[in-house]
Amino acid sequence: MSWPPRARRRLRRALHVAAILLVAAVFAGPILWIIATAFKAPRDVYALSLLFEPTLDNFRLAFDSPYFLGRRTLNSVIVTLGTLVLSLPIATAAAYAFSRFRFPGGAAWPLGVLATQFVPAVIVIIPLFVVFRTAGLLDTRLALIIANMSFVVPYSIWMIKGFIDAIPPDMEEAAQLDGASRLRVIWDVVVPMALPGIASAAIFAFVVAWNEFFYALVLTRNEATTLQVGLMGARTERGDAWEIMAAMGVVIIAPMLLLSRYVQRHFVRGLVAGSVR
Amino acid sequence: MAQVRLSGVEKRFGGFTALHPLDLEVADGEFLVLLGPSGCGKTTTMRMIAGLEEPSAGEIRIGGRVVNDVLPKDRDVAMVFQNYGLYPHMTVAENIGYPLKVRGVGRSERERRVREAAEKVELGALLGRRPRELSGGQRQRVALARAIIRTPTVFLLDEPLSNLDAKLRVTMRAEIKHLQGELGVTTIYVTHDQIEAMTLAHRVAVMNAGRIMQLGTPEEIYDRPANLFVAGFIGSPPMNLIPGDVVGGLFRAEGVAARLPGAAFDRPGVVLGARPEDLAVTAPGAGDLEAEVYATELTGEAVLVTATLPGGARVIARTDRGWRAADGARVGLRLDRSRLHIFDRADGRRIPQSQEVETA
Repeated sequence: MSWPPRARRRLRRALHVAAILLVAAVFAGPILWIIATAFKAPRDVYALSLLFEPTLDNFRLAFDSPYFLGRRTLNSVIVTLGTLVLSLPIATAAAYAFSRFRFPGGAAWPLGVLATQFVPAVIVIIPLFVVFRTAGLLDTRLALIIANMSFVVPYSIWMIKGFIDAIPPDMEEAAQLDGASRLRVIWDVVVPMALPGIASAAIFAFVVAWNEFFYALVLTRNEATTLQVGLMGARTERGDAWEIMAAMGVVIIAPMLLLSRYVQRHFVRGLVAGSVR
Repeated sequence: MAQVRLSGVEKRFGGFTALHPLDLEVADGEFLVLLGPSGCGKTTTMRMIAGLEEPSAGEIRIGGRVVNDVLPKDRDVAMVFQNYGLYPHMTVAENIGYPLKVRGVGRSERERRVREAAEKVELGALLGRRPRELSGGQRQRVALARAIIRTPTVFLLDEPLSNLDAKLRVTMRAEIKHLQGELGVTTIYVTHDQIEAMTLAHRVAVMNAGRIMQLGTPEEIYDRPANLFVAGFIGSPPMNLIPGDVVGGLFRAEGVAARLPGAAFDRPGVVLGARPEDLAVTAPGAGDLEAEVYATELTGEAVLVTATLPGGARVIARTDRGWRAADGARVGLRLDRSRLHIFDRADGRRIPQSQEVETA
């Protein structure tokens, strides 16, 4: 027996919708759960019901001792912005050099920079810990910024290099003959044209620096602790304070949601721009 | 304004010699064209003058100053690139004004001069646009305006017209010639288009395989090509070249016997050159050569007759636009004796003829 084409089409459509809903639920479900839990009273936490009396008590508690959500958010913001501000100019300069100059050893250098990322962080963390302890940088934001740069800069170099490679050298030569120094050429011509790539790198850097957990866990104790590590503070001897974790989770997620809302389009355009000159 | 002088300038890329040691002097205010097929070293020569390439040996002087170690930005030269090299993120006005901005010229002064330069190349109405909103000809004008906004000592133009369509090329050619005459700036112009070279240049340097084959005025290059390369490269359709021998003042090849002007001489192993317009089509038996029509082409202002000589070689003659003949018809061809060229077959050099000995 065979189905009439119209029914078959409807069935296929229904299956599509079901599949999409399933995928959406898998991705969005936990986020919705966190947001809902953040506003629940502790006794409602395990009730999956969406009908509850919303409260801001969790946030009030989280900002207080022993969680210090405010200070930790500030740490996270400073570490993330510090990573961005230092990484992007360095990565842009390095990307330009790798793209335009010839080195003895050739392509080995940019590849070597990338290869450093194949070493797992767990291996690097012990020497890094020793170095920071010797330098007196343990439990400082600077230590985290430096640690973040160790993986943000190499990837950013590669992201930006692709864009600079696509800029025809004509324009730079024209600018040089127009009277610009090499540095001025980079600032006036290369940076504006590689901006989509630099923006992509910035977003990437923001996301990974903001979400970074492992280095922050090992290299900080109290003063420079970031949100992500602070989250663990909600695992107390009296059990896990899920509602506090959720409140912190909301603060962690918030910038990501904003970011995806406003810059996603730019990011995607940045990723494809190099390929469709 | 300045003189440009290259002494023993050479360029090697690894084991490949792009430019053999070269001496060249461009006079103050001169329009010099570097002409040659692609890969002949003409662009490399220009890029070394601009400072975008470093010579492997030799010395480059601009206005008497050795500039080998001077950065491009400090050479005070302006260059127009084949792909225009415009800044896509800047408006036309910002593009044109960039050389002034880099030099710290104030905004109001800059705006005034941008407008002046734009007027000169008829871009006044487009100052707010971006390069991608312009046609090829307009982009080329922006590049020109950017080059003339500060009066540089030397203009370098690298195939500036090759991305334009044929009609626009003719207009822009005239504009470039006019601008150069008006500004009187020493200009070096690279092209592979002989018409551009002939029409624009005070002097042409014909280049091939990293060497200058001949340096001279357009007339000299056309009327007295120094060697077979120049003879074959300049002129469209190219010069007819017939290998043969000179015996007692008579040029002989298979089925060809033509008396040469001047005193009788013997010289085996030569090539006779005659431009299509110096070959007249006559009745059979009335010319110097006998030939059979292979094809006729009406170009509009003339008819090009391709004819086969008895030896099998083909020659092209340019004749009156009213001339008609069927393929296979027998015709005679008469050589214009005052405009014949003879080259040595072995080294390709021109053999000076008696009436031009004093100039050779």
